[in-house]
Amino acid sequence: MIEVLNVHKSFGALEVLRGVSLNVAAGEVVVVLGPSGSGKSTLLRTINHLEKVNRGYITIDGDLIGYRRRGGKLHELKEREILKQRKDIGFVFQNFNLFPHLTALENVAEVAELADARHFLERVGLADKASAYPRQLSGGQQQRVAIARALATRPKVVLFDEPTSALDPELVGEVLDVLRDLARSGTTMVVVTHEIGFAREVADRIVFMDEGVIVEEGPPDQLLDHPVHERTRAFLSKVL
Amino acid sequence: MTSGTLTLVSTKDDDLSALPVVPARHPWRWVGVAFVLVLAAQFVHGLVTNPAWDWPTFARYFTAQSILTAVGTTIFLTVFGTVLGFALGIVVAVLRMSKSPFLSAVGWTYIWAFRSIPLIVQLLFWFNISYLYQRLSLGIPFGPEFVSFETISLISPMGAAVLGLALHQAAYAAEIVRSGVISVDRGQLEAAAALGIPRFRQFRRIVLPQAMRSILPNAANEVISLFKGTSVVSVMAIGELFYQVQVIYGRNARVVALLMVATIWYIVLTTLLSIGQHYVERYFARGDRR
Repeated sequence: MIEVLNVHKSFGALEVLRGVSLNVAAGEVVVVLGPSGSGKSTLLRTINHLEKVNRGYITIDGDLIGYRRRGGKLHELKEREILKQRKDIGFVFQNFNLFPHLTALENVAEVAELADARHFLERVGLADKASAYPRQLSGGQQQRVAIARALATRPKVVLFDEPTSALDPELVGEVLDVLRDLARSGTTMVVVTHEIGFAREVADRIVFMDEGVIVEEGPPDQLLDHPVHERTRAFLSKVL
Repeated sequence: MTSGTLTLVSTKDDDLSALPVVPARHPWRWVGVAFVLVLAAQFVHGLVTNPAWDWPTFARYFTAQSILTAVGTTIFLTVFGTVLGFALGIVVAVLRMSKSPFLSAVGWTYIWAFRSIPLIVQLLFWFNISYLYQRLSLGIPFGPEFVSFETISLISPMGAAVLGLALHQAAYAAEIVRSGVISVDRGQLEAAAALGIPRFRQFRRIVLPQAMRSILPNAANEVISLFKGTSVVSVMAIGELFYQVQVIYGRNARVVALLMVATIWYIVLTTLLSIGQHYVERYFARGDRR
């Protein structure tokens, strides 16, 4: 479903991604772990072309993201075409980024029919908050609206960039419940998170990143309980 | 454990929670209030009793036909100056924020030029444009002409006034619009982009309503300042409010009464604008109230 091949990304002199390759199968849930500054979020943002890569490429369902191959060259797509591609890629931000001047329902309806928008709000358990403005909702509720909004374009994959990191501890659970529910229903997901317990329970595969490369990957019990790499062990000893 | 315990409230007599609270007194505030009230009373007394204010003349002219027509002209100039000024201002702001360095420089240059030239100089320049170019024509640049006009018939004094006010206003409007747009959180654009919302819709539905919150107070300032600023077009002998009262007191020498006519009209209309501003701001603040 998602194919990331040898992706490099630099911000000025700082090389944030140094040759990352990753495949995600349809229906698979991949959790990305790693210390801050390891390039996890940047990797996620290159997948929906919020960040342009310097080298390498990304495809979703076989479609090249951000470029078109023609006559032995990669032609950059027009913004309009990139925006169209992004409808296939849901993205959930750490800071929710709900539109503050629109109600919960209007936020979702910005990218879907009203009936669909109601359906997705119901799916995250917030049908009764349809007419509330973001400011009137708790952090957990805001993130659930943001998830409903990301689902509303009916994307092929959904990317989560630390969806619970900005939440008070007692609100993390309700958001993880929604993620758990999505994973069970066969949604293809890539989740950057620090919630190790969630990763162990829900992930089909965990990827550990450090300093812009994937250090190791594997099923949760293998990677969390028997990490091969020294760097993985060092990281896990700090967070477990 | 018991030996080290410090007891703060020991006996029943010392129970502070039972005592009434006496608010702090501010006697000097009352002195200040009295002082200002006396000054205000003196001012009002003077307005009423001093015959030099000449209220009968004020009353005779306040709703005179010539004054009402002049008020209409002032409103006309303000409306056209604002609408055309902000329309052009949005275009200039978009140029200024363009990723193309050339277009951005064009926007910057416009703002630089029209903020540098005093409005009165610019108005006189447009008023006298027909000295500079007798004829204006449409055609192929450096090639044949299709139609041509006498400048003096195309740009009337009123046209010159609207043109000058709008071009002047556009430079300030551009900066106000730009300040509003850059005040919108980056995450909002990222979210809109991540959702695949088309570019123009992003601007109209996401950026503009949020930018309006910081645009509005500044824009209202500009409209009010333009409204009073229309009085400078009196140099072009256009019959707006200030020009009209000058003409009248030139004839009858009742300077103070007629200046008060203009003043009260400016106050009334500015008050209406301020009330309008309040409601428009409240509309754009939705989502910000609990």
